[in-house]
Amino acid sequence: MGRPLIILLGAVALGAAIFAGSYVTARRATVVCCARPADDLSWLQTEYHLSDAEMARVRALHEGYRPKCAAMCAQIAAKQGEVAAALGGSTKVTAATQAKLNELAALRAQCQAQMLEHFAAVSQAMPPAEGRRYLAEMKQLALGGQAEMEQSMSGEMGHEQHH
Amino acid sequence: MKKENQSSTDPRLGELLREARMAPGLPPGFQQNVWRRLEDAEAPARPASWLEVLANLVLRPRFAVTAAAVLLLAGILAGTWEGRQVARQDARMNYLASVAPATLR
Repeated sequence: MGRPLIILLGAVALGAAIFAGSYVTARRATVVCCARPADDLSWLQTEYHLSDAEMARVRALHEGYRPKCAAMCAQIAAKQGEVAAALGGSTKVTAATQAKLNELAALRAQCQAQMLEHFAAVSQAMPPAEGRRYLAEMKQLALGGQAEMEQSMSGEMGHEQHH
Repeated sequence: MKKENQSSTDPRLGELLREARMAPGLPPGFQQNVWRRLEDAEAPARPASWLEVLANLVLRPRFAVTAAAVLLLAGILAGTWEGRQVARQDARMNYLASVAPATLR
C-alpha cells in the first residue's frame, strides 16, 4: 500500500509541476508578446475586425477627440481644485461650495456627453454589427462601474430601511 | 574388510570418520522458511490492488513520457489562451483610459 501510493503521489506532484510551469511561462510570454503599450488602438482592429480603411477613419476620429478630452480633463481638474479650496478645512457645505459642486457636476456631465458622442462616431466608422458591439461595450466600461456602485448603494440603503 | 578392521581397532580414526560425515547444521528457522515457500508456491496469486496497477502503469517509461508531453502541451495551450485574454483586457483598458478619464469612471 505504501510504495504504490508514494509513487502515485509523486507522479501527480510532478505532473502538476509540469503543467503549472508551462502554463505560467506561456501566459507571461503571450502577455509580453501581445502587449503594445505605445499604440492604444491596434487592438480595435483585431477585436472588431476592421479593414485598414476603417482603422484609418477610427484613428483619425481618435486623434481629433484627444485634444478635446485633454482640455475637458484640465477644466475638471481645475474645478476640483476650486471645490477643495471652497471647502477648506470646514465640514459645512456653504452656498459657495454648493455652487462649485454644481459647476463640477455640469462639467462632468458635459465630458460624459462628449465621450458618448465620440463612441457613437467611432461605432459608425465600423461595420454595423461590430459598431453596435463596440458601442455597447464602451458604454458598459465607461458608465457601468458608476451604475453598479449606485445600485449596490441603493440596495444597502433599502436593506437598512427594512431594519 | 580392511576398513572395518581399522575403525574398530583405532578409536581415533573412527571418531575422525564420524566427524567428517556429520552433516552441517541448518540455519535457524530453516524448516519454517521451507514450509512457507511451499505454501506460497501452492497458494493462488494475490490480485494486485488498483493502486499497484496504477503505480506500475506510471512507472512505464512510454506512459510517463507521453503523460509529461500531454501535460506540457496542455499547460502551454492554457497559458497562451489566458495570456491572450489578459493582453486583450489590458489593451481595452489602455484604450478606455485614453478616451474616458478616470474622473468619469
